[in-house]
Amino acid sequence: MVHEKTEHDEEVKTVQQVVNSESGKDFLREVMKMPGGEKILGCIQCGTCAGGCPTRFAMDYSPMQIIKMINLGMKRDVLSSSTIWVCSACYTCATRCPRNVSFTTLMMSLKNRAILENMVENSVDSNFHKYFFEVVNKYGRIHEPELLVKLMDKTDLRSLQHNANLGLRLLKKGKLRMRAPKTEQNKWVNNMLEKTSEKVSQ
Amino acid sequence: MVNVKDKIASLDGVKIAETFEYVCSNPAQERIKKAVKEQGLNRVVVASCSPRMHLETFRQAVKSAGMNPYFLEMANIREQCSWVHDDKSKATNKAIALVRAAVRRAQYLEPLTPSKLKVTESVLVIGGGIAGINSALELADKGYQVYLVERNPSIGGHMSQLSKTFPTFDCSACILTPRMVTVAQHPSIKILTNAEPIAVKGSAGNYEVDVKIKPRYVDTAKCIACGECTQKCPVKKPSSFEENLVEEKAIYRPFKQAIPNASVIDKDYCLHFTKGVCGICQKFCKSEAINFNQEEEIMELKVGAIIVSTGYTLMDPHLIGQYSFGFHPDIITNLQFERLMLQGLHKPSNGEVPKKVAFILCVGSRAAIAEGVGYCCKIGCMTAIKQALLLGKSVPDAEPWIFYTDVRAHGKGYEEFYTKAREHLTTFIRGRAAEVIPNGSHLIVKAEDTLLGKQIEEPFDMVVLSPALIPNKGTKELAYMLGIDLGPDDFFLEAHHKLRGVETKREGMYVAGASQGPKDVRETTMESMAAASKVATFLGKGEISVSPEVAYLVPDRCDLCGICIDKCPTKAIGRGKKEVILDTVSCIGCGLCVPICPKEALDLKNTTDKQLVAQIKGIVEGDEATPKIIAFVEKMTAYGSADLGGQSRRSYSPEIRIVRIPSIGRLGIKHVLHAFAAGADGVVFVEGDDGLLKEDKLREHVIQFKKDLGKFRIQSLRLQSTTTTLPQYEKILALFDDFVERIRKLGPITQEKREEVKKFLEGEKNGP
Repeated sequence: MVHEKTEHDEEVKTVQQVVNSESGKDFLREVMKMPGGEKILGCIQCGTCAGGCPTRFAMDYSPMQIIKMINLGMKRDVLSSSTIWVCSACYTCATRCPRNVSFTTLMMSLKNRAILENMVENSVDSNFHKYFFEVVNKYGRIHEPELLVKLMDKTDLRSLQHNANLGLRLLKKGKLRMRAPKTEQNKWVNNMLEKTSEKVSQ
Repeated sequence: MVNVKDKIASLDGVKIAETFEYVCSNPAQERIKKAVKEQGLNRVVVASCSPRMHLETFRQAVKSAGMNPYFLEMANIREQCSWVHDDKSKATNKAIALVRAAVRRAQYLEPLTPSKLKVTESVLVIGGGIAGINSALELADKGYQVYLVERNPSIGGHMSQLSKTFPTFDCSACILTPRMVTVAQHPSIKILTNAEPIAVKGSAGNYEVDVKIKPRYVDTAKCIACGECTQKCPVKKPSSFEENLVEEKAIYRPFKQAIPNASVIDKDYCLHFTKGVCGICQKFCKSEAINFNQEEEIMELKVGAIIVSTGYTLMDPHLIGQYSFGFHPDIITNLQFERLMLQGLHKPSNGEVPKKVAFILCVGSRAAIAEGVGYCCKIGCMTAIKQALLLGKSVPDAEPWIFYTDVRAHGKGYEEFYTKAREHLTTFIRGRAAEVIPNGSHLIVKAEDTLLGKQIEEPFDMVVLSPALIPNKGTKELAYMLGIDLGPDDFFLEAHHKLRGVETKREGMYVAGASQGPKDVRETTMESMAAASKVATFLGKGEISVSPEVAYLVPDRCDLCGICIDKCPTKAIGRGKKEVILDTVSCIGCGLCVPICPKEALDLKNTTDKQLVAQIKGIVEGDEATPKIIAFVEKMTAYGSADLGGQSRRSYSPEIRIVRIPSIGRLGIKHVLHAFAAGADGVVFVEGDDGLLKEDKLREHVIQFKKDLGKFRIQSLRLQSTTTTLPQYEKILALFDDFVERIRKLGPITQEKREEVKKFLEGEKNGP
């Protein structure tokens, strides 16, 4: 998915301009309505979230900075950041946050938002999110080989070659199943995903 | 045009009606006095400015003419009439209505006299920390008998545990202990240690307090603090004075400079009490001070005033799990660090001198989670800076790191102190530490340096936590016992945040120090002085004047259901044998108890039901305005706000007629029904923002009224309520305008409905 030029490209660029712009405030209000965004105005920028985050090293902005950026209305930077995709949803920050910000939930909401707004960079992280749900939707549960192939096909085909040996070893031990899984309640899962996506797009 | 004077002169009971240009001027006052004397008047109504302005002036005037001052009534036709209405004929009508109401009310006025009450010239100070010590000394020097009650075996409080104080590095013990000695030697101070108040009776000026004195099993008069008993005692227990860092014996002296300087036995550890053996201390005590048969004692104290200075305690850092408190002996609190410094700085784990120490601030403070508290601990930053500097002084090449959220260096000399710490190469990391991981002899602190946007993982020798400050154990129970309020943070609540910082809502009770909120020694000391000064002002004249505008009991009606007892905000109502007992000194005359009494056994002096109903009828009956609207306005803040609107000449609908009452809580549904029955089309309630009915309570009150109105098919829209602060007059006046417009659209209430309400009210009168 390549980022296409959208109306947001015309948005004001500097922080000062964003802070006082109506669109910036609109974004803040939108986020506050998202699951996880209810309490972000309570954030005192203490850094507890960032300090304990296990995937912080791979993020371009720390969780704390993301909240500050939402506060300032920097919609474009937030939704195209790697942070929201790198978050491993371990809930460390949400557990420790002294201000009760449900950061992990907020990350989920922002991911969905980024997809809806067509602001997703073509990265392993975002594609993983996408294909994971595609596969789950198809079979009712995860099917690793298909997910891997899809993911590598979109990002880096050569890594298939590199990881062939590992794949074979996993196969031998029965950790990877080539046959697609069957679930009786596939429809239920489909329904569930459909309903949640409806909710998100609302 | 109608003439107000003529109209009033024709009213029943009015003997003489006169106008005067400036009624508050001396000649006018003389005229009133003359009329009272010559014509034998027994009531006077002054229709002029706001009673907030000149009520006292006119009361004094009629008093000097030999009349009871409470026989005077005022109608506010300036701030709330002539200054605010443009339509002259409507304003004149309103003035007539207001004066008529005052005349009607005046007929029911009763003579009242403020009573004088002798006070007990002694003071109880609860809590023997630096706040209590200062208050006690100050008051004793002024000549009052002071009882200083302390829960622990020694006075001194937290300050006695500290090493040095910021920002001057004064040795804490060196400045505190001389004061402790002075307290002990002062002839007017009686120290009661190991003691707690358990019951409080009486009222301001004359409280009776029961104090429970727990046995100490050592006679303080005989004990010479030789320490022989402690040496011989075989049982060890953690020392609470040393913050559980070292052990002491079951018979011990709390600390070297303890007052009273005598040993004490810890019943929970002593073998004599746990197993019924030993008694070795008794054998070795040369002065025969040890007495295992000592019993609990209840002491009755009579005091005029009470100062509460029960202080704070540290929040348990276990609650903030990520800092691993309790999992490694070198993770300690800042109070433990103070003790370590006085013991000779070492690591509790192996006794080595720590070099690299992390100070983690805001542990549980400034939080919105259940485990923490919302407020700032106020002393954490400066304490950590002080400890970092002291570490640098005592340990060569020490490396103090301070993990802070925001450095709050707000006091005199504090910012300079912060600068000093930076100059001494303290490492400041802006970011709340995320976690502490014990790793063998080292402790790893993980945090984000939020200014660099980088994560940090550093090994330390020792980690010092700054836990939140919370109210001391038992604060809630004490507040309930004394009948004073706690704030949302569970600390004692002062009467006013800005202007009455050491007073509580109950007269004769004061609060000082950290029991009112986190604060440092300097602030605590100043507050304790202020509280002492307030007590001296209160007790200084030997007697206090008690307002006669209080609730009273109509004899034989009370059946002791007790509803009013819980409702009273100042605990002025108690349970008697046959009926409730009203304490006229504690009563603040709010009238909250009056309408809730199912037997109508209570009433409020100078705002009796009769007076109120007469005033309500006086306003609407014979009034020509349409629609007719009565606004009941709380007498201090809300009424003042309406006056302010008048002074600003903010004009509003002249159909509004204001009735001044002590609190909206004084009103029952009866009064609203009387208003509608007599001819009103709408009723507005305005309560002061600082009034006794807070917004949610007021809403509850009004919703109930609206439901009751529904029974008479009167639209709930005809009743409106709001709260206001003094300067917010624009809000209430705009509400008046909107309300008049609304009632105009609704139209008048039909005569049938009024008759129905009237019939109901008459039935009530003949009923129970």
